[in-house]
Amino acid sequence: MMPPAFEYMAPTDVDEAIDLLNRYGDDAKILAGGQSLLPLLKSRITSIPYLISLSEVKDISYITDGKNSLKIGAMTLDADLEYSPTVRKNFPILSDALGQLADPLVRNMGTVGGNLSHGDPSNDLPSVMLALDATFKIRGKSGEREVHSRDFYMDTFVTALEHGEILTEISVPYWPAASGGAYVKFRKGTWNFSVAGVAVQLQLDNEIVKKAGIAITSMGPTALKASEAENYLKGKKLTAENVRHAAELVVAASQPSSDSYGSVEYKKEILRRISVQAIKKAQTRAEVK
Amino acid sequence: MDLTEKLVSGKGNFVDDINMPGMLHLSFVRSPYARAKILRIKGGITWKDVDLKMASVGEGATKGFEYLEHPVLAKDYVGYVGQPVAAVYADSPYEAEDLAETSVEVDYEPLKAIVDPEMSLTAEPMYPGLKSNLLADKYLGADFEIKDAPVIIEDRFVNHRIATDPIEPRGIVAAYDGNRLTVWVSTQSVHSLKEGFCEIMHLEPESVRVIQTDTGGAFGLKGGIYPEYIVAAYLAMREKRPVKWIETRREHLLASRPGRGVVGKMKLYADRTGKILGIKGDVIVDSGAFAGGSGEFSARFIAMQLTGPYEIKNAYIHAMSVLTNKVPQGPYRGAGRPEAAFFIERMVDRLADELEMDPVEIRLKNATTAPYVSPTGLTVEASKPFLESAVKAMGYHDHVRKGNTGFGWFVLVPATMPGETARILVDGGTVKVWLGGNAHGQRHDLFVRSILSDELGIDPSVVEWQKGDTDQLEDGVGAWGSRSAMMGGSALVEAARKLRKEVENKYGKYSPQKLLEGKWDSYEFFHYDKPYNNLGANLITVHQDDLGVIHVRECISYYDLGKVLNMDNVIGQNAGGCAEGIGQTLYEGLMFDENGQMMTSSIADAGVVTADLVPRYKLLLHKSESSLPSRAKGLGEAPTIGTPVALARAIEVATGLRIRETPINPEYLLSAKKFH
Repeated sequence: MMPPAFEYMAPTDVDEAIDLLNRYGDDAKILAGGQSLLPLLKSRITSIPYLISLSEVKDISYITDGKNSLKIGAMTLDADLEYSPTVRKNFPILSDALGQLADPLVRNMGTVGGNLSHGDPSNDLPSVMLALDATFKIRGKSGEREVHSRDFYMDTFVTALEHGEILTEISVPYWPAASGGAYVKFRKGTWNFSVAGVAVQLQLDNEIVKKAGIAITSMGPTALKASEAENYLKGKKLTAENVRHAAELVVAASQPSSDSYGSVEYKKEILRRISVQAIKKAQTRAEVK
Repeated sequence: MDLTEKLVSGKGNFVDDINMPGMLHLSFVRSPYARAKILRIKGGITWKDVDLKMASVGEGATKGFEYLEHPVLAKDYVGYVGQPVAAVYADSPYEAEDLAETSVEVDYEPLKAIVDPEMSLTAEPMYPGLKSNLLADKYLGADFEIKDAPVIIEDRFVNHRIATDPIEPRGIVAAYDGNRLTVWVSTQSVHSLKEGFCEIMHLEPESVRVIQTDTGGAFGLKGGIYPEYIVAAYLAMREKRPVKWIETRREHLLASRPGRGVVGKMKLYADRTGKILGIKGDVIVDSGAFAGGSGEFSARFIAMQLTGPYEIKNAYIHAMSVLTNKVPQGPYRGAGRPEAAFFIERMVDRLADELEMDPVEIRLKNATTAPYVSPTGLTVEASKPFLESAVKAMGYHDHVRKGNTGFGWFVLVPATMPGETARILVDGGTVKVWLGGNAHGQRHDLFVRSILSDELGIDPSVVEWQKGDTDQLEDGVGAWGSRSAMMGGSALVEAARKLRKEVENKYGKYSPQKLLEGKWDSYEFFHYDKPYNNLGANLITVHQDDLGVIHVRECISYYDLGKVLNMDNVIGQNAGGCAEGIGQTLYEGLMFDENGQMMTSSIADAGVVTADLVPRYKLLLHKSESSLPSRAKGLGEAPTIGTPVALARAIEVATGLRIRETPINPEYLLSAKKFH
C-alpha cells in the first residue's frame, strides 16, 4: 500500500495550477482532498507522475449565499458543507447526502469539487447536483465556462472537464418556497459504496408538484438523471399510486449491472423502495416550508 | 499509563514502529493464478535461494504431510492466488513495492483451478501421486440404522471462508548478529514461532530469539508461522541487516490464513415427541492448496462437537478435509466450534419447526441430565440444569412473546492441552510476569494483577505483565482456544503458590513485604491433558426493515465462566466476540469466482463490523467455579459460537426464511414473503 513515486506540487492560485496541468499534460492530475485518488495510487491501480495539489489555493473554498443561488467553492470540505447553516436550512437534500458520504474521516478531508469531478458513479454528490439543477464553473487556459450538471457526466470517470481545466465553483439555484428534497442511500455498511442512492427535490403548489428533480447514484456508468420520472410528477398530486409509478420510472432510468453488491433485479428492487422513501421525505419537507 | 490508553493514543510499540539503522524492507511477488505451472522465474529472491518448506506449528498444528507442505517460495507450481513466488527488498518500503512490480518476471501456464470443496471430492487429484484430494478423512461415532424414524430431516449448511482481519495485519522485523537470529513479531505465541524457525530453517534453539511486540489483534491469525517470516529471517541472515516485512490489507485478505470455509451436510432422526434418535453427517473443510493449515485437524474437531449439549445416542459423522486452490485455511476465533454449533443448532431449530414445538422446549427434551460422553467423543456435563437457569435468567419466554428472537446454546471446548507456563520474577520491589501464551488484545495484564494480588497479597500496581520473549520464559504454548485464564491463569497461580512457599521456607512465615524485599524467580509448567468443557447460551433479538436489512437489537450472553478473574476482561471478550459472531452471520465473508480469483480483495468487499452495527449487550454469568487452580473456565470463543446460531434463528423468525449460510446474502433477506 505504498504509492509509486510522484512529484507533488502545491501552487497557490488556480491559474498556476492550470499552467502546471498544461505543462505536464497527461502525466498530471489535480489532487483535491485525495480521498479517491490516494487509495487508487496506494493500491497501484493507477500511477500519476505529477500531482498538482489545490490545498494551497485559498480562494476556492467558500460557501456563499448569492442572489439566485448558493455558491460553493470547489475546495470546500465535505464536512464544512455538511455543517453549513445555509445548507441545512435551504438544501436538506445536500445535508442528507453529505451526512452519509463515506465516513466522517473522509468528509473531513474530502472536497465537494473532488467528489463531483472524479466522475465515480458511486459518489453521492453528482446525483444531488443533478436533482438540484446545479451548474459548474470551469476554468482553463482560455478562460472560464459554465456547464450544467446534466451535461457534465459523460462516462465512468469521464466528465466534461477537458485536460487543463479545473472545476472551481458549484452554483446551486435556490428553489422557491414550498420546495424540499431528500437523499436516500442504501449500503451494506459505512465501509461500503452504495448499492443505490436517489436524490429527489420537489417544488409543490397546493399539493401539486410544480417541479421535480430526480437523479440516481451507483446505478449506471455515471450518476443518472431520471427525466421521465421528473416529467411524470409535474402537475400531479403525490398520491400513493403516482409515487409508486414515479418510482417505477426512476427504476426504468437506471442501468445497473450485476456484481458483488447484488443482481440487477435486487438493485432495482432496492432503488424502487428508496425512491418511494425519498419522494415521501421530499414531500414532507416541501410541505413544512 | 494504562495499557489501553497507551495503545489507543499512539504510544504503543507495534512491529511497524520498529526502525533500525540499515533496515531493509521486503515486498513479495505473488501468484496471480489459483493454479498454474511456473515455467520460469527471473529476478528477486526465489526458491533457488530459499528452498525450504513450511512446518506446521501453533494452534491446530498437524504433522505427517511433509510432501504437501507449503513451500516458502513457489518452485514449479502455484496453488492459490497470492502465493509468494519471489521476494524483493530495498531501503524503503516504497522502493520495495516498485521493485515487486518491475524487477521480477514469472511465466505461468495456468491450469484449471479446483475451487469448490465439494467438487474437489470428485475432481482429479491436485498433485501427482495422490489418490484423491482428501487431506484428512475420518469417521467418528458408529454407523447405525433407525428403521421407520417418525421424523427425518436432511439439510446442508455453509460457513463461508472469513478473514481474521485484525486491525494490525501480520508483520515482522528480523535481525542477525552473526550468531543469533532475533525476530520482533506480532504474535499469539513466541514459542510456536521459535519452534517454527528452528524446524523450517534447521536452526538450533539457542540461536533463535523471538520477541513479541505490541500485538493489535490476531483472532487465530498470529498463532502460526508464515513463508514471509522465513524469507525475512533468511534475508536478515544473508545480508546481516535488519529486515522488515509488513503485510498490506490486500495481502491479508488474499494470502494470510482465513478461517471457517466449512460445509455441513446433516441428517437428523427423531420421534414425534421431539427426542433426537440420531444424527449422521458429512463435514467438509475447505483446506486450501497445501497441508499445514488447520484444515486437517478441524474436520475431525468439528465432527466431534456435532452432538452439542445433547444426549444423542447415535451419531456417525464423516469428517473430510479437502484440497482446494485457495490459501490454506487457518484458525479463526472459534476455529471449528462455531461451525459445529451452527450445523447442529440449525437442525434442532428445523426439528422444532417440523414438530411445531418451542425451540427451547425441544432443547430441554434432549439436554443431558447427567455428565455424558457422546458417540463422537464430546464430553458434556449435565446440560439440562444449565439450560433451565439460562432460559430463566435471560427472560427467554418474554422475549419470544415480543417476537423476532433466537436462542442458541453450545458446549465450549477450550484448548486446554497440554497446559501452559508462567514465570514470576520479583526484583527491586516490582513483580514481572510472563505467560506462555501471548496476549494480542485481551489484556492479560488485568487478570495477572488480579491473581497475584489475591495469591500474594501485594498491591496490583507493583505487578508488571510482560510481552512474550523466548529468552525470558523457556517454553510455552500460546494464547488461543479460550485457554488463557484457565491454563495461563492456573500456571500463574501455581507459580505464585510456589513463591509463597519459598518465602515461607526462608522466613518461617509469608509476608508481601518479605517477598518484595527479596529477589525471587518462580517458573511453573501447569500440565493439563484432559478436556475441560463448559456451557454457554445466547439470545438475540432483531428487526428487519423495509429494505430487508436485519438490525440486531439485543444480544444476551449467558455463560458459565467459573470464577471471573477480572470483570473488564470478561466484558471485553464478550463484546468483541459477539461483534465477530454478528460479522460472520451478516457482513463478513471471502468469496471466489470459478477460477479461484478472490472477489473480496478489499475490506469494503470482505466486510467488517463497524460501531454502528453493534447491538445492546447483556452479559449474565452462570457461576460454578472450575476445579483448576485459577478456578476459571473458558470464554474467548464462546460469543463467536453462540451469536451466529442465535442470530440465524432470530432472522428465521423475523423473515420466515431458512438460514443455511453465513454470511447471509442481503438479496436473500429481501426475498422474504412479507415483501412480495
